Amino acid sequence: MPPLKSGQSFDPAAARAELSGQSGPVLWRSLEELADNEAFRQWLRQEQPRLAEVLGLDRRQFLRTLGAALALAGVTACGRPPQNEIIPYVHAPVGQVDGLPRFFATALTRNGYAHGVLVENHMGRPTKIEGNPRHPASLGATDIFAQAAILQLWDPDRSQTVRHRGVISSWDDFAAALLDLTAQSGRNGGAGMHVLTGEVTSPTLTAQLDALLQKFPAARWHLHEPLDSGNSRAGARMAFGAPLSTRLHLDRARVILSLDDDFLCDPAAGVRHARDFAATRAPEKAGGGMSRLYVLESTPSITGAVADHRLPLESARIEAFSRALARRLGVLEDQADSINESAWLDAIVSDLQANHGHSLITVGRSQPAWMHAAAHAMNAALGNSGAVIEYSDPVERVPEEGASLAQLVNAIRAGSVDLLVMLDVNPAYDAPADLEFRAALKQVPHVVHLGLYVDESAELSEWHLPQAHALETWSDARAFDGTVTIGQPLIAPLYDGRSACEVMALLMGAEVQKGHDLVRRQWRAKLADEPAWVAALQAGLIADSAIAVRSASVRPDLKSLLAPPKSGGAPPQGGGALSQGGGAPPESSGAPPQKGRAPSQSSSASQGGLELLFRGDPTIEDGRWSNNAWLQELPKPLTQLTWDNAVLISPSLAAERHLSNGELVELRLQGRSLRGPVWITPGQAARSVTIHLGYGRRRSGQVGTGQGFDAYALRSSSGPWRSAGLQILATGERYELAGTQQHFQMEGRDVLRVGTLADFQTNPRFATAHDRYPDKPPSLYPDYPPGEYAWGLSIDLNACIGCKACTIACQAENNIPTVGRDQVRRGREMHWIRVDRYYEGHQDNPHTYSQPVPCMMCEHAPCELVCPVDATVHDSEGLNVQIYNRCVGTRFCSNNCPYKVRRFNFLQYVQSSSDTLLAQRNPEVTVRRRGVMEKCTYCIQRIEAAHIEADKQDRRIGDGEVLTACQAVCPTQAIVFGDLSDGRSQVAQAKASARHYVMLGELNTRPRTSYLARVRNPNPSLEQG
Amino acid sequence: MAQLFHRRFGFLFRLGLIGAALAATTGVLLWRASMAYPAGVNDPIEQPVPFSHKHHVGDDGIRCRYCHSSVEKSAFAGIPPISTCMTCHSQLYTDQPVLAPVVEAFRGGASLRWKRLNKLPDFVYFNHSIHVAKGIGCASCHGQIDTMPLTARTAPLTMQWCLDCHRHPEQNLRPADRVFDLHWKAANQSALGARLLKAYHIDTARLTDCSVCHR
Repeated sequence: MPPLKSGQSFDPAAARAELSGQSGPVLWRSLEELADNEAFRQWLRQEQPRLAEVLGLDRRQFLRTLGAALALAGVTACGRPPQNEIIPYVHAPVGQVDGLPRFFATALTRNGYAHGVLVENHMGRPTKIEGNPRHPASLGATDIFAQAAILQLWDPDRSQTVRHRGVISSWDDFAAALLDLTAQSGRNGGAGMHVLTGEVTSPTLTAQLDALLQKFPAARWHLHEPLDSGNSRAGARMAFGAPLSTRLHLDRARVILSLDDDFLCDPAAGVRHARDFAATRAPEKAGGGMSRLYVLESTPSITGAVADHRLPLESARIEAFSRALARRLGVLEDQADSINESAWLDAIVSDLQANHGHSLITVGRSQPAWMHAAAHAMNAALGNSGAVIEYSDPVERVPEEGASLAQLVNAIRAGSVDLLVMLDVNPAYDAPADLEFRAALKQVPHVVHLGLYVDESAELSEWHLPQAHALETWSDARAFDGTVTIGQPLIAPLYDGRSACEVMALLMGAEVQKGHDLVRRQWRAKLADEPAWVAALQAGLIADSAIAVRSASVRPDLKSLLAPPKSGGAPPQGGGALSQGGGAPPESSGAPPQKGRAPSQSSSASQGGLELLFRGDPTIEDGRWSNNAWLQELPKPLTQLTWDNAVLISPSLAAERHLSNGELVELRLQGRSLRGPVWITPGQAARSVTIHLGYGRRRSGQVGTGQGFDAYALRSSSGPWRSAGLQILATGERYELAGTQQHFQMEGRDVLRVGTLADFQTNPRFATAHDRYPDKPPSLYPDYPPGEYAWGLSIDLNACIGCKACTIACQAENNIPTVGRDQVRRGREMHWIRVDRYYEGHQDNPHTYSQPVPCMMCEHAPCELVCPVDATVHDSEGLNVQIYNRCVGTRFCSNNCPYKVRRFNFLQYVQSSSDTLLAQRNPEVTVRRRGVMEKCTYCIQRIEAAHIEADKQDRRIGDGEVLTACQAVCPTQAIVFGDLSDGRSQVAQAKASARHYVMLGELNTRPRTSYLARVRNPNPSLEQG
Repeated sequence: MAQLFHRRFGFLFRLGLIGAALAATTGVLLWRASMAYPAGVNDPIEQPVPFSHKHHVGDDGIRCRYCHSSVEKSAFAGIPPISTCMTCHSQLYTDQPVLAPVVEAFRGGASLRWKRLNKLPDFVYFNHSIHVAKGIGCASCHGQIDTMPLTARTAPLTMQWCLDCHRHPEQNLRPADRVFDLHWKAANQSALGARLLKAYHIDTARLTDCSVCHR
């Protein structure tokens, strides 16, 4: 949001008026820009927003300050360089060459699912995480969370000691106390002993849980995952009679329909999905094949942004749509549907049927179980089962039915819980509000909490145990397809932490207590000898450990199960929300089970009632990443907000209620209320209001505590993903959100080029068809002589999904500091590669495009000409390099950069107060201090490392030998880097594509970074105007 | 018009000028002394163990790479682990008091803390392995270290000094088999250097690129 002064607030009604009568592809980033009002222009005129306000001085004061600064300038230079020491090893680690990084394969988990990674280790210090190319869930790429895990490891706020009622204690004291407790409850077969975990795939941990339940038959294991996949498990159970796991093969799909499923961000397989999906999106491919993606969703997601057709629909109306779809595909049998979107339905059905065996229907985890079951039946009916979608026995282990958090609270209320062990969960913060878990927890006599942080749950526990980070401990976990990775430690626990497996061993009083021995024993049979064990560790996975695909046939009686949804055991929200279709009359035969509640809801919906949607935050998920500054400052995909969550509302709702960005509103739902700032989100379903979970932490750490508002306060266990009957009340107060969507404006120039598949087929060079300048216009500046290599980078906008993994990988690789909310508001974020998000079309449902922008490495670089001290110069291989030790901080270069990719250290952003954060830094990259300009270097440290290796062996650097950090992490391989002087290199071939164009080519800067235009593949029968 | 200043004033003024010049020189010298690197050129500093390269290299003939084992592979030449010292010193001079810190470290005490002599600023990325691979001898930067009873820095390590060689590397190039020879001297360095420059495929234009040393 631009920092509008009060009284200059943006008026959405004016924006709508402006838009009507507008035609042609016009790209815009924000509603303010679209409206182009005076307030916005005024804000834009300042290159650094609100610089004057920062100073707040008059002329005399300014001169006085300047004089003092000059007088004292010399003082800072007084000081002798420190005497450095070299401390040798006593015994050198085996296989280590001092000074060279080593990579170890291990796994990080998301919702229990393994993501194979390679961790860069500099003489014992893990500094950077890369994907493991051999791992099925990674294929060499990672998501943003794996990148940020390295900062979490070194987080100085991590829990460092055992605490007993908040007082520092020791593991020995805990073990002694636990012995007493388990002996007590052990006499009654473990009655009163309850274990609470998140979703689990670890074979070692599940074996331990089994052993525990065997040893203490009366003990109970409960599952609590705030963003769980319970609906999809229940749906599979409904469809197949067993909770089978689903495996998508998006690379085999020609038509994909996503019903509110953000499958590109799936916690288990999102990275793999992105790779497979991108493989079907290259229009150059023989056969002219491009898949077509339809997305129906209520709140914009990454998957929706890459869709060829995206229909914003309220979550409840998606259910009605699905019902109609199921009927059309013969999966449901009841009377004819009546929905407003029949044109969409017709087009989608005929497209799906035309691609029998090559289509796919996926359903999001926020949608009720019956929809998942119906989707399985529809996929079977379309011949996709076994081809595009496959099934296997469940990958994750879940406790028996009825072992949810709600059941645990019931047991606590009944007084039957004596000992509660919480392993890496934080229910005191993230439990649904109606459970009143905090109050319940206080009733439990003995609570043990294992966690990375002293969080809300730790505060209320008798014992808090510091958890060892995934990079500090032995573990194992399964990937989405069941492939097992043994997690090996990269470093001894920094603090006194232990893993969940070790605490389970302690709980059972097992003889084997060490993490390594526990995991080794689990795999004694499969990895019998040492070479097999070492091979599994080195590969980062156990060969052939994937769970076999099995055939799965939908129960023949599913139709009758689905007809009245209640009989299928749909979770409470499913039935209740079924008939909330706004505008669509509720089905009489599909009457919801909660009859008493439903009519009022449906009537409120038809009168324009609002639904409240709960979603995990795009960057801090359910709150577990809240103390991670990299993720906090990463502009959230689509909203571009940092450091805060917001109440996402549609432009039409904003117009109706006269709300503007940043206005605080009160949300009222089921007698509870919450205040938060509004963010008008183009593409949001008209009557849907979305809030992101994970903020409003009461106890997180220096970074996370107290940021944003706590959306869990409105979440109920009956409607964990959506609740109807929301009321919004304006408060008249404002809160300044730190959004980056206005930063580094491209001034409406033609920087992003898009066409349809038809455009591409008519003229493959559509992207440059309208350029009115020659390929290489004449220039006054002489060309540099060609060097040994000519480095260049190509970004395929068709593959880019806007996930921002590149931004955060760059941050980790290049020691880029975070600046905090206040500095972001001033436009001073430091990310070297930003991902711009553009909208095209009507604000109610615009097309959304993402464009990563690193340094363009211009051959005729405007920045170099204006630097008075030659701190930014060309090198012989075409890189535009920034010399930090020469830079005096005039910022002329930044002023002269048409791409706005230069970042200035306005303040001392790099923190040196914490030893552990120092240890995280990449030793190959200079840490910049205040007053220095910096920018993307094409990861020159990686180029130089490869250069030195190649030069030593007297050979050329091979293609693909240097991967920039952004390229390595990219799940869709949209970024290609290499030597342009070698015509066979991947990057040279990418640039030979017909879709190739350069940004602002008319300036004749001759950038080395260039783009491949985006191509959409719309269905002609749905494409309007 | 009467004389404005007394005749003696000229003398005093000159004296004052000389005094000011002296004070300025002293000031600059003091400043330079206070800003100097802790270990000066040819100025051995006290180490936890008075290790003698003269004894180990010059007298005993131990090769450079026996201890500095990563010099051909990594940016860092490597400082030997205590276990390397103990290959000999578990048998020799075990009871000498000067060796006590080494033995103590090996027995599980704190490791040694050598004081660093050759230190570059943090924004300079020097790499040993490429220099050794391209025919720069140890002696070119570290001098005749086999004659030093106590080790001292022999090069100023200024950017000017780095650039002298990066601009004219032929002045210091050696055949690959003479890199670790501390006393080798070419009969005709300019002819040899020019020949080696081609043989090693050294791109002199690139050697003065900022990005070669600064990242």
